[in-house]
Amino acid sequence: MAANFWTSSHYKQLLDQEEVDVVQSLDKDRGITLEDFKLIKMHMANYILKLAQNVKVRQRVVATAITYMRRVYTRKSMTEYDPRLVTPTCLYLASKAEESTVQARLLVFYIKKIQSDEKYKYEIKHILEMEMKILEALDYYLVVFHPYRALSQLLQDAGLNDINMTQLTWGLVNDTYKMDLILIHPPYLIALACIYIASVLREKDTTAWFEELHVDMNVVSLLKAKLCERGESIQFLLLGSCIEFVGCCNF
Amino acid sequence: MGDGNNSNRGLVSANAANRNNNNNNGSHHKKPEWLQQYDLIGKIGEGTYGLVFLAKIKPPSPSRGKSIAIKKFKQSKDGDGVSPTAIREIMLLREISHENVVKLVNVHINHADMSLYLAFDYAEHDLYEIIRHHRDKANHPLNQYTVKSLLWQLLNGLNYLHSNWIIHRDLKPSNILVMGEGEEQGVVKIADFGLARIYQAPLKPLFENGVVVTIWYRAPELLLGAKHYTSAVDMWAVGCIFAELLTLKPLFQGQEVKGPPNPFQLDQLDKIFKVLGHPTIEKWPTLANLPNWQQDVQHIQGHKYDNAGLYNVVHLSPKSPAYDLLSKMLEYDPRKRITAAQALEHEYFRLEPLPGYNALVPNQPGEKVINYPTRPVDTTTDFEGTTSLQPSQTVTSGNAVNMQGGHMARSVPRAMGVGMPRMPHQSMAAYNLASQAGMGMNPGGIPMQRGVSSQAHQQQQVILPSRNNKDVTEWFQESLRLLLG
Repeated sequence: MAANFWTSSHYKQLLDQEEVDVVQSLDKDRGITLEDFKLIKMHMANYILKLAQNVKVRQRVVATAITYMRRVYTRKSMTEYDPRLVTPTCLYLASKAEESTVQARLLVFYIKKIQSDEKYKYEIKHILEMEMKILEALDYYLVVFHPYRALSQLLQDAGLNDINMTQLTWGLVNDTYKMDLILIHPPYLIALACIYIASVLREKDTTAWFEELHVDMNVVSLLKAKLCERGESIQFLLLGSCIEFVGCCNF
Repeated sequence: MGDGNNSNRGLVSANAANRNNNNNNGSHHKKPEWLQQYDLIGKIGEGTYGLVFLAKIKPPSPSRGKSIAIKKFKQSKDGDGVSPTAIREIMLLREISHENVVKLVNVHINHADMSLYLAFDYAEHDLYEIIRHHRDKANHPLNQYTVKSLLWQLLNGLNYLHSNWIIHRDLKPSNILVMGEGEEQGVVKIADFGLARIYQAPLKPLFENGVVVTIWYRAPELLLGAKHYTSAVDMWAVGCIFAELLTLKPLFQGQEVKGPPNPFQLDQLDKIFKVLGHPTIEKWPTLANLPNWQQDVQHIQGHKYDNAGLYNVVHLSPKSPAYDLLSKMLEYDPRKRITAAQALEHEYFRLEPLPGYNALVPNQPGEKVINYPTRPVDTTTDFEGTTSLQPSQTVTSGNAVNMQGGHMARSVPRAMGVGMPRMPHQSMAAYNLASQAGMGMNPGGIPMQRGVSSQAHQQQQVILPSRNNKDVTEWFQESLRLLLG
């Protein structure tokens, strides 16, 4: 269902870290390691952000575009699907899916403006061709859920919705897109982890609030197996975000 | 592009039966490989988005002979790739599954000409044609059982969509399909999601999307300039369709004002007010905030209307349950208008004749089965949309009634069909409630949608891992220490 996370294709398609951390054989043959793979994706996520700031689309479009890009590379090789073309095309497609359509010519204009490297310089027709290939690679599943909405709701519920906490947690959520977390965890969990990290950093006592969160029995039945499967997921998530956060803030 | 034959083309896997089509030898055929699995019968519809074709699945597929409606999207004229309408339609259809909603069977891309094809289960009939048949040919009204069954199934599909935060926005008789002969005969399928929206968190006011659809089924709040849609707009349309099923005439047949964008449709409002009377601030408090109500004081507010009485127009007793339900659908205030879920519980559906699965075949053994005409097919048009010079001919089954040539020109897209796996409705309700955990709350000050209140108490429920929070705290602080040295 389009607006129901637990029955959405997004939920059904969540992957395990190990499934995401697979370097396609064509790329492996060219000497790309898992580390390289992750770094390229992080770099491309930044590229999407930079383009988005120029064409002026909202954060949700950026987040959807990065998710598309990361999904594509769980199935396709970078050798066949050049990240320098896939990345702007994902932004292009996401802008349509999120109803903030950006014209291809505008995108091409900013690509040329931002990137001096010739290898980034793709034309409109390349983007249009790649758009269709990406649609196929995504198997036409385009609805993506993000942590932002859950975040503001949870912050409000916890009484932490002051400017300071809102900005910090929002920034943390943005940072999670530097990793593949959106392919692995339900968005609300990512939001919760970010709140948790922020509350520790800002020395807010949220223990009681976290304990008070009631578990919905309907969801438990759906999720129980999943959580058992990977009991350490929340830890990984927190650690991942924490690493990112620390990296960003130059602690 | 040479990519059309990539074995990993990402065919929609919704219909396993259609997947046995991978003869990977078609690289030099003119016709794309995926197209070879179908026999093209002809064109059945046309719109601004592109064309709709009727095709049959060829052997050796186990579904051979099965009819499929294929919607071809043109490459957008502005050189901007796949049209956002197509993207939106695919996006929604890929997520939804309900027996009263059309089923997307396959998506195909032809890289050579950059066109996109959506394949649906084919539905032979639609309410537009069924109503037309009764009005122009049969000269007698639809029987009560059929009206009630069609309406119930329409509401059932709509309730599914609304509980998943999807508004259709373009409900009209031609978008309500009914399955022809076969297992699903007489089952209603809501179609055409090109304008449908997830209304949970629009990035832009829904209003900006420049709706260009028939105004006859448009809700009064939209006509008066409301910028935010709610699911209530679909219920207004259902009310109009219900009345049309009863009388065989569109209920509010306003003259459309053409012109960009969203011109004020005074005549449509006029037609509504003539039947339902003048809306008042007392009955509809937010009326005063609607832009067109404020701006057009002399036209709308100045005119006095005599309430002609809805029951006179639809020939129903004001005391009948059918009338009660209809008037609740045509409630002016969108916040008071009946919801799909409430309508399904209405007394009307609990009285004989009870609504049934096959809306077209009456329960009563003695009653006459109506042979509705089959959809006209233009067999002279190929998948490229090229028309040959042969005279247009109509493919009909034996019981078809005379088609009119001009009929094909209707710009309304109305094709495609169905065949859904049954959804257990009870469990769906549970999912919906659960889904609101941390996901479904009111985004950024957008006026709350109807139906939210009933779910509001669920919204605070989020799942935490079973791990004790204290452990997490300790673990986290330790990690932090390690990281920060």
